Amino acid sequence: MTTRRFSFRPLAAAACGLLFFLPIWWVAVGALRPREDIFRYLSPLSWRTLWPTDTTIANIVMLFQSDFTRALFNSVFVTVVAVAFGLILCAMAGFALAVMRFRGREFVFFLIVVSFLIPFDAIALPLFGLMLDAGLQNTYIGLILPGIGNGLAVFLYRQFFLGIPKELREAGVVDGMSTFGIFWRIYLPLSRPAHITAGLILFLFQWQAYLWPLLIAPDTKYKVAAVAIAQFTDNVEGTQYNLIFTAAFFIALIPMIIITYFQKYFTSSVASMGGKG
Amino acid sequence: MRVAKPTVLLAFLGPTLLLLIVLRIWPATAAFVDSLYAPRSDQISLDNYRFIFSDRVFQQSLMVSAIYSLIVNPLQIAMALMLALLLNTKTAMIGLWRTLVLLPAAVPLSVSAVIWGIGLRPDGPINALLMTMGIDPQRFLTSPDQALWSIILIVSWVGVGYWMTFLLAGLQEIPKSLYEAVRIDGANRWQTFRYVTLPQLRRTLTFVLVANTVANFLVFAPVQILTQGGPRGSTNLIMNEIFTLGFVQGDRSSAAAATVVLVTVVLAVVLIQFRMMQAPEDNAA
Repeated sequence: MTTRRFSFRPLAAAACGLLFFLPIWWVAVGALRPREDIFRYLSPLSWRTLWPTDTTIANIVMLFQSDFTRALFNSVFVTVVAVAFGLILCAMAGFALAVMRFRGREFVFFLIVVSFLIPFDAIALPLFGLMLDAGLQNTYIGLILPGIGNGLAVFLYRQFFLGIPKELREAGVVDGMSTFGIFWRIYLPLSRPAHITAGLILFLFQWQAYLWPLLIAPDTKYKVAAVAIAQFTDNVEGTQYNLIFTAAFFIALIPMIIITYFQKYFTSSVASMGGKG
Repeated sequence: MRVAKPTVLLAFLGPTLLLLIVLRIWPATAAFVDSLYAPRSDQISLDNYRFIFSDRVFQQSLMVSAIYSLIVNPLQIAMALMLALLLNTKTAMIGLWRTLVLLPAAVPLSVSAVIWGIGLRPDGPINALLMTMGIDPQRFLTSPDQALWSIILIVSWVGVGYWMTFLLAGLQEIPKSLYEAVRIDGANRWQTFRYVTLPQLRRTLTFVLVANTVANFLVFAPVQILTQGGPRGSTNLIMNEIFTLGFVQGDRSSAAAATVVLVTVVLAVVLIQFRMMQAPEDNAA
């Protein structure tokens, strides 16, 4: 491409990167500074606006002595469980749709596609009514279940498994492997990109969720971090901005690490999915 | 392929299929059925739909959602595309800048709402910046004229980098030989973009357009956390209206009808966009 001729381009790229990053930096700085400093260096703006001078870890200590620790634990717990179960169950369903022959396969595939064309948040309220009747409010089951069955992950696995040569499967049959053996020992080890993409989809669904946990798990015991941060209560001195910043930082940190680490897979695999889909 | 044993098939497909039917298809069907029964009535009717469509608040919510969609989707995709074009290069440290643009995408929308809610306070850093530039401080989230734009900012900060990564991946899949061919033909930058980049990017753009539009119809957390639909209904996006109807006011019938309206609109928009993005040359090629 005609890139090298334009020297302003690296500068523009850097400026955009820094602009997007600025709010995150501001939050990190806010998490490390004393409460009274949060709005202190704003008028006039100075280097101190974006650089903590009296750094302290008091906010972090205070945050983890509060109910927020429980909320962060809940988020981690429900996400780990949902991703683990979601991966295995969606992979199995994708395997069935890709390699098994049975009556009504097209219809089942149609149901899967319909299930991911109906946005989950749009049906959260009617589902909440059903779950309430089933007594699943304020339970981990209620929080986790919707995150496990993900039509998009099933679709993704099916597409990926269709690309695995059927000769490998036939060799497995000749060797006397069971269907589960073929799935577990041949298909799963070959499907690392699909695991990563499906894992990211399941992870983000569960970690970023707001409406569903707001409805199904309002109790402090089961409240997740993404909901808890919006409900920080004021104390006698007003809103505890220092704690909000610290909490925001920790809630964002985990997905930021994961997305950065898997960035390459994230873009390539989802892009090819977009092409095929 | 042999026909699968029913027990094996059930073991592989059963759990997920059950989850999807119970947790996705059943509630959608339930909402549809509920929407046909007016409160305290066992007759099927369209009363719930008549009721919500004659309700001023719901009408305004539809209007606000439409305006929001027409602004936010083109805006985000244009920005994402410009960023992708800018970052599709091999200069030093480009990986870092890409990562920094993508990082906000990891931030949950509720967290973005909380952060920007503080940033846009009257005495917050955005107003401090405006004042440094000699501009009067603005009301942002408490102004009926600026609140929706503030929501758009909050949503776009996490959205643009996310969609940018798809477009960047799409750009990188375009064969270099195509660019060389048009360069030999003497095409300028705009012609190259118009006749090579854009057509080659069509599939990725379709995916991004559809997925982004759906995601933006479902925006809820910033509204519920920061404005509750106000001021004067100016940010009452459809999801917040459904939440208010069903959860706050306990009017399940109206909420069900509004849910059906939302799902129908989403599916219709998805279909229309797929149609529109289908190019005649796809058939020829």
